[in-house]
Amino acid sequence: MHTPLTPPVFHILLALADEERHGYGIMQDVAWQTNDALQLGPGTLYGCLKRMLAAGLVEESAERPDPKMDDGRRRYYRMTTLGRRVVRAEAERLAGAVTAARARRLLAGGKA
Amino acid sequence: MVERFSRIYRALLYTYPRQFRLEFGGEMEQLFRDRCKDVARTNDRMMMLNFIVNSVLDWIKTSVRERAVAAPRGFVNEWIVTILLYLFASTTLVQAYVIPTGSMESNLKVGDHMLVDRTTYAKPGPLGRYVMPYEDVKHGDIVAFLYPKDTHQTFVKRVIGLPGDRIGMVDKQVIRNGSALIEPYTQHIDPEIDPSRDDFPELTVPQDKLFVLGDNRDNSLDSRYWGFVPRENVVGKPLFVYWSYDAPTSDLEHWNVAHLVDVMEHFFTKTRWDRTFLVPR
Repeated sequence: MHTPLTPPVFHILLALADEERHGYGIMQDVAWQTNDALQLGPGTLYGCLKRMLAAGLVEESAERPDPKMDDGRRRYYRMTTLGRRVVRAEAERLAGAVTAARARRLLAGGKA
Repeated sequence: MVERFSRIYRALLYTYPRQFRLEFGGEMEQLFRDRCKDVARTNDRMMMLNFIVNSVLDWIKTSVRERAVAAPRGFVNEWIVTILLYLFASTTLVQAYVIPTGSMESNLKVGDHMLVDRTTYAKPGPLGRYVMPYEDVKHGDIVAFLYPKDTHQTFVKRVIGLPGDRIGMVDKQVIRNGSALIEPYTQHIDPEIDPSRDDFPELTVPQDKLFVLGDNRDNSLDSRYWGFVPRENVVGKPLFVYWSYDAPTSDLEHWNVAHLVDVMEHFFTKTRWDRTFLVPR
């Protein structure tokens, strides 16, 4: 997988940055991160996860029930070291782009 | 409702390549169900509509992508398979209907365009019974069926009598198996009693037949006039109204240029927005 990452991949990695989550957990976190702008459908989420698993950015963790949900076992996903490096590189690239946009006064909060 | 949507989604999963479906299908269905429950809990119609549209777009986009990825060679073949699957899905699982008459008025209005779930009442085949849980028609269900006198027309009515039931009517009051039926969903627009319409002696519903009535009881051509509906004429269960447009019966029965122009001119004003995503009960 190459940078720039697609928005779903980037946000999925962000969702897994500090804890492992199951599919619905990822979906909810991505919605929260993006203020509901990005609602991952099942096909998009698992299509991305399939490619991310193949690229070694994420791995499957143990299958277990979620205490917050009232049903059976769920498969959890966790970010690998490679995944962490990739998401950091992408975040730095975006931060650089934001700084450049600020300098051109396209964004609030730049130097006057 | 969550169950019905989940069942349709499960069937749609068959449009994904086999390998992908085996690996992630269960999780995808679970995710869909979770989201569906959350959305249903909000009771927010716009959110439900948004969810449906998003789910359909997600399904189309990703099932095509996964198929293209799964078979980089034989691309044309893959497309043929995909298109056939979509045609199958769109005619076998759900179908769009429009309500052309006011016989169910109070619940369904003339010009309600709705999706009908064709899986629920379908007689299970030797294979189907393992894939789709089959549900039998119950008292009070709204069903879509082929009009027995002219099977080119689809009618939507409410099931009043099942095989073996004794049904009669005395002054607009339905008597089922000897007791008066309480029907909060009906509407009466004519205070007069018309014996040819509002009274009939008790009769017994034969095997594999249904007795149906419209909710707009005083203005409905139903089993009182043309008899029972054979069970195999039932095509499905109305799911929800996706578009409600104020138009006369004749335009809805036979599409014409004038109607098309009318829709283009008055789409925003004549669409009954508050009926979008209404679930008939």
